[in-house]
Amino acid sequence: MIHANTSSWYDSLSQELKRSSASIEKVNRRSEYWRKSNLDIVSDLVQEISETDLINLKGTYIHEPELTIDGDIMELASDKSYKISSIMDEIADEDSFTKNYFGKLEEKSQKLVPRPLARDNSLNPKVGYALSLSESSKKPLVIHNKTNKSARNCFQRNLIIVKKGVEATIIETGNNLSVFNSVTEIYLDENAKLNYLDLTGENNIFPKISHKFCDMAEKSTFNHFGLRLNTKSTRNEIELHLNGPGINTSIANVSLINKKHHFSDENVLINHNAYECKSRQVFKSVLENDCTSIVRGKIYVAPEAQKTDGYQSSRSLLLNENSKFLCKPELEIYADDVICSHGSTSSSLDRESLFYLLSRGVHRNKAKEMLITAFISEALDEIEDESIKSELSNYIDVWTSSFFHE
Amino acid sequence: MLNIDDLKVSLEEEEKQIIKGLSLSIKPGEVHAIMGPNGSGKSTLSSVLAGKDGYIIDSGTVNFDGSDLLEAEVEERAALGIFMAFQYPIEIPGVGNMNFLRTALNSQRKTRGQEELNAADFLKLVRGIAKDLEISDEMMKRPVNVGASGGEKKRNEILQMCLLEPRFVILDETDSGLDVDAMKLVSKGVNNFSSSSRSFLVITHYQRLLNYIVPDFVHIMVDGRIVKTGDKTLALHVEETGYKDFLQLGKGKH
Repeated sequence: MIHANTSSWYDSLSQELKRSSASIEKVNRRSEYWRKSNLDIVSDLVQEISETDLINLKGTYIHEPELTIDGDIMELASDKSYKISSIMDEIADEDSFTKNYFGKLEEKSQKLVPRPLARDNSLNPKVGYALSLSESSKKPLVIHNKTNKSARNCFQRNLIIVKKGVEATIIETGNNLSVFNSVTEIYLDENAKLNYLDLTGENNIFPKISHKFCDMAEKSTFNHFGLRLNTKSTRNEIELHLNGPGINTSIANVSLINKKHHFSDENVLINHNAYECKSRQVFKSVLENDCTSIVRGKIYVAPEAQKTDGYQSSRSLLLNENSKFLCKPELEIYADDVICSHGSTSSSLDRESLFYLLSRGVHRNKAKEMLITAFISEALDEIEDESIKSELSNYIDVWTSSFFHE
Repeated sequence: MLNIDDLKVSLEEEEKQIIKGLSLSIKPGEVHAIMGPNGSGKSTLSSVLAGKDGYIIDSGTVNFDGSDLLEAEVEERAALGIFMAFQYPIEIPGVGNMNFLRTALNSQRKTRGQEELNAADFLKLVRGIAKDLEISDEMMKRPVNVGASGGEKKRNEILQMCLLEPRFVILDETDSGLDVDAMKLVSKGVNNFSSSSRSFLVITHYQRLLNYIVPDFVHIMVDGRIVKTGDKTLALHVEETGYKDFLQLGKGKH
C-alpha cells in the first residue's frame, strides 16, 4: 500500500526529526559504535528506493498458525487478543493513537548512542504495523516478514503497546530477500510482560538491520531472544529504558555462523533509571569459516537506580583460527548500591570434554554437536516458555547436526 | 586379548619419554593390577590405550583382538570394547546425563552394525543399573557429572561401564577420592560385571582397592617400565615396604 498523504502531526514530527538529524553522527569506520562492523550493510541501505520496488514489496503480515524459519514449520498457534493496523494508515490519520508514541523512543535513543539508520527509518517508513495488546495470550503471536527479491530496500516501522498487566509472546521470523532496516518502538505498561523472539535464519541473504527501543513501566518484564543462523550480515540494536521499580529484563542471543565471512553484530544498551530492577544479557556465538560476531553490551545505571542487579555474559566458541569474536562490555554506574557484572570468553571446543565423549563411543561429529548444544544452552535457558524452548532447541539441534558436514 | 609389545611413548609437548619399553599381555577373564609411585607412567599408559591425544608413540605395538589398537580412533576403540574409567571424570555442563548415555550406547551399537536401542528399552536398562549402584534419579537427570561428589562421579563411571558392556576395562585410579563405603560399592559393581570373557587393568597407588577387586597379576611400574610381576601378595608387600625396593630395579635397566 502506498500512501501519498501523511497527517499533520507526522509532518511536523518529521520536520523536527529532520532538523535534529544533523547532530547525529553518521555511520563511519571511526565511530565506536561501528568500528569493526560490516559497513557494506550501510552502503546497501542508502540506495534510493524506486516506485517499482515498493509495489513489489510484500511487507509484513501477521502469520496465523505456524512458526517458520526458512520455511520449516513449527507447530505453534496464535489467537486474536490484539489489535493490529498498518503503520502507514496510522501516520496518515490525524487522530491516530500512535501520535503519542511514534518516534518518541527513536528520538530518546539518540541521546547516548548515535543511531543514524533508525532516524532514516523514522523519516522514510514504508511498511509496518501498529500492534496493541490488551489481553493476555498464552499462544504466541507470529510475525512473518516476507520481502521480495526485487525490493531493493525495506524500511519497516513498527509500534507495539502492551497494556497494563498483559502478558504476550511475539515471534518474529521469515525470510529477508531485500535489504532490511526496521525500527520497532515498544511500550510496556505497568506489570506488562512481553517475550520477544527474533529468529533470523539462513534465508536472510541480504543485510538486515533492526532496532528495538523499549520503554518499560514499573514491574514490567521484557525478555528478548535473538537467533542468528548463518545470517549473511545482521546488526541488531536494542535499547531499553527501565523507568520504574521492580522491572525485569533478559536479552539473550545465539549466533551460529559458519558460512564464509558471514557476520552478526549485536548492540544492547540497558538504561537502569529506577531502583530494584534486574537485567540479564547472555550472548553465545559459535563461529567457523572466518566468520565474525560482534557484541557491544552496555549497562547504564542512573544515580537513582539503587539496588540494580545487572549481569552480562558474552561467550564464543571459535571453531577455526580466523573467526573473530569482538566483544565490548561496558558498565557506566552512578549509583553506589548495585551488583553489576560482566564477563567475556572466547575458546575452542574443550579437548577434555571432547575426549570424554569420544572415549564412550560417541562419534566425533555428534560429540562436537553435543558440545555446541551445551555451549548455547545457557542462552536458550533464558526462554521461559518450555514448549517454545523445546521447539527451538530441536530446530537448532537439527540445524547444528549439519553444521560440520558441509 | 591385549598385547603390548615394547611400547615407548613420549609427551608431544615436552618431547619427554614417559613409557620406556613396556610389554604386557592380558588374556580374557584376567584381572591385572599396575601399581607404582607417582610419575611412573601409569596414567600415561591408560591414556594411550584409550586414545587420548598429546602423546607420541616412539615405538612398539598394541594389539587388541588381532587389530592394531594404536591406529584406531578414540570412538572406534570404544566400539571395539575398550573402556577407561577416568581418574577425574569430566563435568560437561549443558549435556544431559541420559542424553549422553543413550547417544554413547547407540553410537557404539551403530558402529558395530547393531540396531539402536529405543527410548523405553534404554530407560529400563539404565534405571536397573543405576539402582544397583545407588545412583538417584535426580543424579541421572543432571548434566554429565555436574554437581556430583567424587564418589558419585566414580559410580557414574561404573554405570557407564555396565551400560556399554566393554570387553576390556581400564580402571584408572578409581579408588582415589573414595571413602570405604563408596569403594565397596564401586568394587561390587566391577565384580558383578566381571566374566570369563572380560579383562580388567586396574591402575592404583594403593593396595586397599585390591582387597575388593582381587587381581590375578600385579605389576610394579617404575620409570616407564614394568620391573616386577607377581600375584596379589606382591601388592601386600608394597603396602608394607613401599616402592623403595623397586626404584633400584627401574634405575638398573637404564
